[in-house]
Amino acid sequence: MNVIYPLAVPKGRRLCCEVCEAPAERVCAACTVTYYCGVVHQKADWDSIHEKICQLLIPLRTSMPFYNSEEERQHGLQQLQQRQKYLIEFCYTVAQKYLFEGKHEDAVPAALHSLRFRVNLYGLSSVELVPAYLLLAEASLGLGRINQAEEYLFQAQWTVLKSTDCSHATHSLLHRNLGLLYIAKKNYKEARYHLANDIYFASCAFGTKDIRTSGGYFHLANIFYDLKKLDLADTLYTKVSEIWDAYLNNHYQVLSQTHTQQMDLLGKLFENDTGLDEAQEAEAIRILTSILKIRESTADKAPQKTIFVLKILVMLYYLMMNSSKAQEYGMRALNLAKEQQLDVHEQSTIQELLSLVSTEDHPIT
Amino acid sequence: MTTLPPLPMIRPKLTALARQKLPCSSRKISKSQLIKEKDDIDHYLEVNFKGLSKEEVAAYRNSYKKNVCVDMLRDGYHKSFTELFALMEQWDALREAARVRSLFWPQKPLEDQPDKLDHFYHYLTRAEYAERKGSFEDVYNNLYALACYFNNSEDKWVRNHFYKRCFKIAQLIKIDSGKKEAEAHMHMGLLYEEDGQLLEAAEHYEAFHQLTQGRIWKDETGHFLNFLACESLLRTYRLLSDKMLENKEYKQAIKILIKASEIAKEGGDKKMEGEACYYLGLAHLAAEEYDLALTVLDTYCKISTDLGDDLSLGRAYEAIAKVLQSQGEMTEAIKYLEKVVKIARNNFQSLDFVRASTMLGDIYNQKGHYKKASECFQQAFDTALELMSMPLMDETEVHYGIAKAHQMMLTVNNYIESADLTSLNSLLSWKERRGDIESDPVTDLGVQVQFCYMDILCSSKVWAFSVVYLSSK
Repeated sequence: MNVIYPLAVPKGRRLCCEVCEAPAERVCAACTVTYYCGVVHQKADWDSIHEKICQLLIPLRTSMPFYNSEEERQHGLQQLQQRQKYLIEFCYTVAQKYLFEGKHEDAVPAALHSLRFRVNLYGLSSVELVPAYLLLAEASLGLGRINQAEEYLFQAQWTVLKSTDCSHATHSLLHRNLGLLYIAKKNYKEARYHLANDIYFASCAFGTKDIRTSGGYFHLANIFYDLKKLDLADTLYTKVSEIWDAYLNNHYQVLSQTHTQQMDLLGKLFENDTGLDEAQEAEAIRILTSILKIRESTADKAPQKTIFVLKILVMLYYLMMNSSKAQEYGMRALNLAKEQQLDVHEQSTIQELLSLVSTEDHPIT
Repeated sequence: MTTLPPLPMIRPKLTALARQKLPCSSRKISKSQLIKEKDDIDHYLEVNFKGLSKEEVAAYRNSYKKNVCVDMLRDGYHKSFTELFALMEQWDALREAARVRSLFWPQKPLEDQPDKLDHFYHYLTRAEYAERKGSFEDVYNNLYALACYFNNSEDKWVRNHFYKRCFKIAQLIKIDSGKKEAEAHMHMGLLYEEDGQLLEAAEHYEAFHQLTQGRIWKDETGHFLNFLACESLLRTYRLLSDKMLENKEYKQAIKILIKASEIAKEGGDKKMEGEACYYLGLAHLAAEEYDLALTVLDTYCKISTDLGDDLSLGRAYEAIAKVLQSQGEMTEAIKYLEKVVKIARNNFQSLDFVRASTMLGDIYNQKGHYKKASECFQQAFDTALELMSMPLMDETEVHYGIAKAHQMMLTVNNYIESADLTSLNSLLSWKERRGDIESDPVTDLGVQVQFCYMDILCSSKVWAFSVVYLSSK
């Protein structure tokens, strides 16, 4: 029942593939409202998003039932809009999640869906489309399709340019993606310009010392690292680590305080929490591990800095409830500190961290 | 294409390439091909048509503030950016606070002042570059330049911010054996002094003084730093002691002033030393330690005579007279005051002259030499008249009137005591005329005071009257 014959479709009605918009040859048997050009695209869509939204699509794509009164009609329309909004958000988060997991291929159909619903709801020139464009661009960049990414980004840039009320956060995201695009194209001058814009807008939106600003600094640092301006890159990497350190330390302190207080009262352990969403956690890990790599390559010069990054990583993994990783990084930090014969104070703080992590691993009963 | 300027005739390879592809050419090109070769075309357009480049467009579209920030960041000056950003936020916060309290805040937002932004950009980036290179002296110089630039009444807080930064940086500079550090201490002292936190200011000035001791450093204007240190330290100490004297903490004030005079002595500047002695003397006087005050003031006298500085000599004599007066040694005090009067007259120091004459008159008045007293007061009054200063004139006038009245008291008393007809007649005629018995023309106010005072003297309510009269004036 999956196969349809384009020639058998009523005249004037064109059925398009959900993924590539070519003439459709197949239909999803479960919802009967979604068409595909072939098995490959159907499978891709199913794996990515269709499985999760198959049934939700039916009311959107069939004609509205006949309503007896204007009131009901309005109500029906409103409901339809709400459904669309829900789907937009849902597809967006799904796509984002795929991106963080590095499954760029899977992210594309979900992001496309999000974009399509947005177009339906808000029209072609709305700022609301920008996040979806950015997702698609990111996915394309991940797949190495630079031209496609560029197209999406220019689309997004144009939309932002035309709109008058666009939040600083959106501007920042757009410029970050443009920066990444130019990095991929090795056009470092443009990339620097866009990343600088990104940092500026992020600072306007969240402040200069926010973790959401750190991404811009990190990419900028990478550029300078590639350009062999090591001292510059070094200060930027330090800045990024400091931002994360301040943030995690803050959380860590609050947590350890509640820990000690509550342990006495109830004797039960607490769930750790980074206060970050999945995206930010993934970003944190990516940023910090790459900084660590760079620091380790020059570890003999400045072991302090390596240990600093290691400590941040320990805290991060500890807060993310991943104690084995935390322990691993903690041990590395301790060994390094002993090797380089750093002062006792430094070693003791690492020891402290380690002991905390290990108690977490084997809770005292 | 018609709107664009004509092409240059020499056509390189790219031109030919682009000519084929541009929409005006007859050949049809597919969209994908155009996209693919977009970079070539862009580059060609940029090179051959001097339109607006991307940067120029951005500069035009965005605010100047943003352009400056982006320029900093793209070259990696992130610390400068953070600092500038924080300052701008603070700037806005101050504006907002002023607006909420509906004060008039004359400052424009920073975005509208490209000059200031340019200065920020110039010096901050240089400072950061120098910091990266590890040459803290350059960092200091750049930050100091910024502080100097913002050294006006409106942007005080920006200047203070950079003074603080300079101070921090200066502590890292070791090569110049502490000159920069000393300077930074001076600025911090100035900052606190302006803020009214005298104790902190004194602390910084002390450090400044210590660092400059025995050095021959000079500042931009050619003054010796050590001299400046002494000067500022003394000034702060004096202000501190003034405050303490107000709160009647005499001991501490004297302690501080003794310290000040020691520093002045070490500083080697005679005038400063004398000055310190003078204030110490005054403090002793306030604490009612007259002997100590006299010895200290004597030193001041000596120093002033050595320097040939008549003005300070006058001040010294005046202070000594005050001490003597408080001690009750009036004849001595009179001697000194006469000296003061003479000096003041010779130097045309009218104000000093008025003050000294009034004091002198007071003493005579107390001792009962009414004639002399009224003479002194007359002199004071005349000088005040010359000066045309109303409050001073009123004051001396009243004094003069009182003295005059005292002088007349004797005659009137005599008349009353003798109690014969002639005396009665004279008294009566005087009462009608209300003129001077000894016929001395005095201005209205003086005469008025004189008569009222005479009347009241009889009912001995002198003090109450003068107070009432003066306050009503």
